[in-house]
Amino acid sequence: MKRVVFSLLILIGLGMALSAQTSIFDRNCVSCHRREGVSLRRTFMNALLIYSGEQNMKAGLKYFLRHPSKETSVMGEEYFRTHRLKAPTTLTDSELDAALDTYWQRYKVIGNLR
Amino acid sequence: MLRSERSTLRRFLALYAFLTLALVLVASVLYYRSEERIMLLRRKAQVADYAADQIKRLRRLHEHFPRERTYPRDPRFRSAIYDLEHVQIFSTMRNNVVDFRRDIYRHDGVIHFVKLLDSYYLGAKYLFIEIPDDRAWFWTTLGKTALGAGVALFLLALAGLYLARLFLSPMRRSIELLDRFIKDTTHELNTPLTTILANVEGLDSAGLDARQRKKLERIDLAARTVSTLYDDLKYVTLESERPARDSDIDLTELLKERLLFFETMFRARNLELHTNLHPTVMHADRRLIARLVDNLLSNAAKYNRRGGSIEVTLRPGELSIRDSGRGIPPEVLREIFDRYARFDESEGGFGLGLDIVRRIAERYGLEISLDSEPGKGTEVKVLWKDAES
Repeated sequence: MKRVVFSLLILIGLGMALSAQTSIFDRNCVSCHRREGVSLRRTFMNALLIYSGEQNMKAGLKYFLRHPSKETSVMGEEYFRTHRLKAPTTLTDSELDAALDTYWQRYKVIGNLR
Repeated sequence: MLRSERSTLRRFLALYAFLTLALVLVASVLYYRSEERIMLLRRKAQVADYAADQIKRLRRLHEHFPRERTYPRDPRFRSAIYDLEHVQIFSTMRNNVVDFRRDIYRHDGVIHFVKLLDSYYLGAKYLFIEIPDDRAWFWTTLGKTALGAGVALFLLALAGLYLARLFLSPMRRSIELLDRFIKDTTHELNTPLTTILANVEGLDSAGLDARQRKKLERIDLAARTVSTLYDDLKYVTLESERPARDSDIDLTELLKERLLFFETMFRARNLELHTNLHPTVMHADRRLIARLVDNLLSNAAKYNRRGGSIEVTLRPGELSIRDSGRGIPPEVLREIFDRYARFDESEGGFGLGLDIVRRIAERYGLEISLDSEPGKGTEVKVLWKDAES
């Protein structure tokens, strides 16, 4: 009985941890992009055109999220005629890393071609 | 050709052959590489067109991803895309061992062309185009290389022979000069030497007092020494090519005769002679075997210490002459049988003695064994296969 309760607790803990990680991305990125009407897929493909590799892209996006500017944005000049520049992120380093990991995993090309 | 000449020629040719082979090998490798490069450059133009087509398709796929997920394929080639961090995004290539540093290269039966993308469609920085390497150029190049190397080796071998002759000619000229000098000198020595020996032998020493007899003995010894040298020179310059007159020789009798000839020399050097002579017969030219024995006895006396000893042992199949002299240093043992080789300058001579011994031994298939210990003496053994043993 004790073993069953212990296993359930671990599973619940893991589930919560996973949902917490996902929710960082969903809460802070998806909701905002949805509000602004900007496709996360589009930004990802734009970022891929510039940064190519996973680590390079994560580092580039992380810098942009901390210090947003039109010059370092992956969106073109056209975009800023209709959209404002986002405010710097308030997420911690580990939260930002977790959000970017989710972003990469959700939209990556590697493993999704046939 | 003398052994020293042969040895010099062998060393020269070995060095020449090594350098020639190295040169031809390096030239062949350079030619092969250049032909490979030319072939790759020819293929590069064709493969670059394939790459341009593939980039267009990648761009389309990038724009339509993920609605469209099928990687573009072309029957003319296989391809792969890698990101900036060298991580493979997708590949249809047969050989996925890739080199990011070269633009085109051959590997394991295929040719890889690498194109760097300006815009990283699908995240791809590197596009690899793979086409099969039919190796037709390889066999053509190999044939051309082998033909070129063969012609080069032939020409270099001719040059080598010419150089070898050129290289050896000063040495050959010196030896010929020395031989001619010895030949002329030998010819001039004959008459006065015969006269001295005949007159010394004709003198009645019994009527002389001890002092005069001693002087006469010295003249006799000097004349015999010159006589031995004369015989050697005559053999080397005039008689060595003469056909041998082989017959059964009584070696015991021959040795006794030669020991008698050297008696004055042994006595003058206060040498004690021990003989152990068993009846032995050898089939050879008596004159040549006498030269061989004379040279061995002469060396045993010349390089002995005063008051030393000489042991002469004769038995079927073996003649041994052992002295109690200064011995021969091990480092010169190898060259001791060479013509004009002398390890000890304290005694007269031209360094012909053991060269004559070697030549006569080679003529009759005799084995010469030389055992020497510096400070203790030398034993020379002449061994042959006795017909009766």
